Amino acid sequence: MTPTLYRQALEQTGGSPHLLAAREVALERFFSHGLPSPRDEDWKYTPLDFLERAELHAPHHTAEDWTSEDYPGIALKYGNGRLTDVYTQSIHAHSLADRADTALVVRYLGQLADTFPGNTALAEINSALWQDGLLLHVPAGWKSAPLFMVHRTSEADAMLHLRHLVVLEAGAEAVLVEQCLGAPGLAYWHNSVTEIVLGEGARLTHLKLDENSAAATHTGLTLVQQARDSRYRALSLNVGARVARHDTRVHLDEAGATCQLDGVFIATGRRHIDQHLHVDHRAPHTGSSQTWRGIADGRGRGIFDARVVVQPGARKADALQSSRNLLLSPHAEIDVKPQLEIYTDDVKCGHGATVGQLDPAEIFYLRSRGIDADTARALLLRGFVEQALGLLKDSGLADWLEPHLAAALPAPNKEHTA
Amino acid sequence: MLHIENLHVSIGDKPILAGIDLDVKAGEVHAIMGPNGSGKSTLAQVLAGREGYVVTAGCVRYLDRDLLALAPEERARAGVFLAFQYPLEIPGVANVQLLRTALNSVRRSRNETELDAMDFLDTVKGKLELLGMDDSFLYRAVNEGFSGGEKKRNEILQMAVLEPRLAILDETDSGLDIDALKTVAHGVNALKHPGRAVILVTHYQRLLNYIVPDRVHVLAGGRIVRSGDASLALELEERGYGWLMPESSPQTEARP
Repeated sequence: MTPTLYRQALEQTGGSPHLLAAREVALERFFSHGLPSPRDEDWKYTPLDFLERAELHAPHHTAEDWTSEDYPGIALKYGNGRLTDVYTQSIHAHSLADRADTALVVRYLGQLADTFPGNTALAEINSALWQDGLLLHVPAGWKSAPLFMVHRTSEADAMLHLRHLVVLEAGAEAVLVEQCLGAPGLAYWHNSVTEIVLGEGARLTHLKLDENSAAATHTGLTLVQQARDSRYRALSLNVGARVARHDTRVHLDEAGATCQLDGVFIATGRRHIDQHLHVDHRAPHTGSSQTWRGIADGRGRGIFDARVVVQPGARKADALQSSRNLLLSPHAEIDVKPQLEIYTDDVKCGHGATVGQLDPAEIFYLRSRGIDADTARALLLRGFVEQALGLLKDSGLADWLEPHLAAALPAPNKEHTA
Repeated sequence: MLHIENLHVSIGDKPILAGIDLDVKAGEVHAIMGPNGSGKSTLAQVLAGREGYVVTAGCVRYLDRDLLALAPEERARAGVFLAFQYPLEIPGVANVQLLRTALNSVRRSRNETELDAMDFLDTVKGKLELLGMDDSFLYRAVNEGFSGGEKKRNEILQMAVLEPRLAILDETDSGLDIDALKTVAHGVNALKHPGRAVILVTHYQRLLNYIVPDRVHVLAGGRIVRSGDASLALELEERGYGWLMPESSPQTEARP
């Protein structure tokens, strides 16, 4: 990617003079940093230098080839990075491009991306080049109907920068499901930045499903700022893309704020799936928990890097981390890096991380009940990931997610070419 | 129903079973007793098809088939059931899921229709009552966080659902208090049937107070050293195993 290609993409964006000026500044900052390099400790497992050599462009077309999947809620469909159905039935959800000049967006957009430490060049290029995304704004005391934000990419070598802003005011509640899909075998780069601001007592359930094509690159950054007694519950199902990097950073800024960041990654074929979590306990009586299950098969590679920091003064913080991983093939690899940094006494923290294989004794146990070996393995794998899906229990989304999970789990003689 | 002839089994180079002969007929209850390390559990595991055991000689016929040639799931579908001494915990898999998958695998192999969720629940409810288990057992992960007694009851529940022809209970009595022992024994007795045989592998006689065997065999040093009726178990309770122990075990024979 030469600077010219990025400049061409910038010319295809729009906005007010104020926004355009901000885009210019962000692009210059991106040029001064460049894409993350493997020399950066945070990126050593996931080099993006191949993007330097790629020739990508802002999408020319809007995708129309939609799957007929039913969504148990309001669906917002984005084709090649643009909202395709502008007549959504939600009073709380809008195209971010349409609302870019509103006082709310001017106030919040970039607030977290510009101030959270550890900000990456990927957020800067996103700030420069985003074309559209979601604005979800739920006023105080309102509850939004479940919202399905579905992204589909159908253009080869497209570079999609999606920007989402979620603002839940005091006591507001929402369920947001994000799904990323791509035409099978298609190469493209989907780079998204999601800023989430939760007011006092606000509650957000956030389900993220990465089903990008097996040739795609996905980079996603989710930033969450939480006020008093707010609750953020996220479940990621990372099963797509050739190279995927999912970053989640949560700031628990006030007492009583809690977050649950659960997830499953399934790296089959040659997939490379990297998830980085960072939770910052910045106030007393804050809580965080992470339950992750990872599977790598074939030549797949998974990375789980989770850092929980309990700042001085964040007494009575409660932090729990569990990461269990399965290697199904001798060529698969999983790297686990759990980190707890505690700078105060009087906290309750625990973590556990394992990497292992399917237990032959468990397989024999199931076979001795008449279940064939392949079905036994499938049952064990489904049971393994089930342990990270507790969040689904009262979400009403379990039935919708099940076929997606079933399609992603490794099975004998199953091709992973999505 | 089951005919074992001159069965020799090793783990690695180490001989464990050194010529077992045993005949079990439909409707019979056989107890296999013996001291620790005598090969009782190995026999149970070999009959169920566990990998890692090498049959070095002998054969096992089951309903006129070569049992040892069958995969574990084929044995189960043919009606062989092993209640494990240490039932495995399977996190994330609900008991009901295991039971239904297992029963439908067996039914499919017999060209019977598979049971849907509702029909299956009807079938399983009566079996739960038999073992004094409430419905909540169905929705808990298989054996996860179960007490020792609950795990053993759960094994018998699986047996009740699968309705095997040949049930092998490996130390099902170990770790049970007297109430749990009675519940388990009641469950097994309720499943006795003229077409069904039961092999009880046990170290102690006390289970046999509740499930009365037709034949008792004492396994020592990898061989059956004594067979008798139910009174043999009582004699063992009184005298211990010492008087039946062979002079030399296969381990010492194997040494150069």
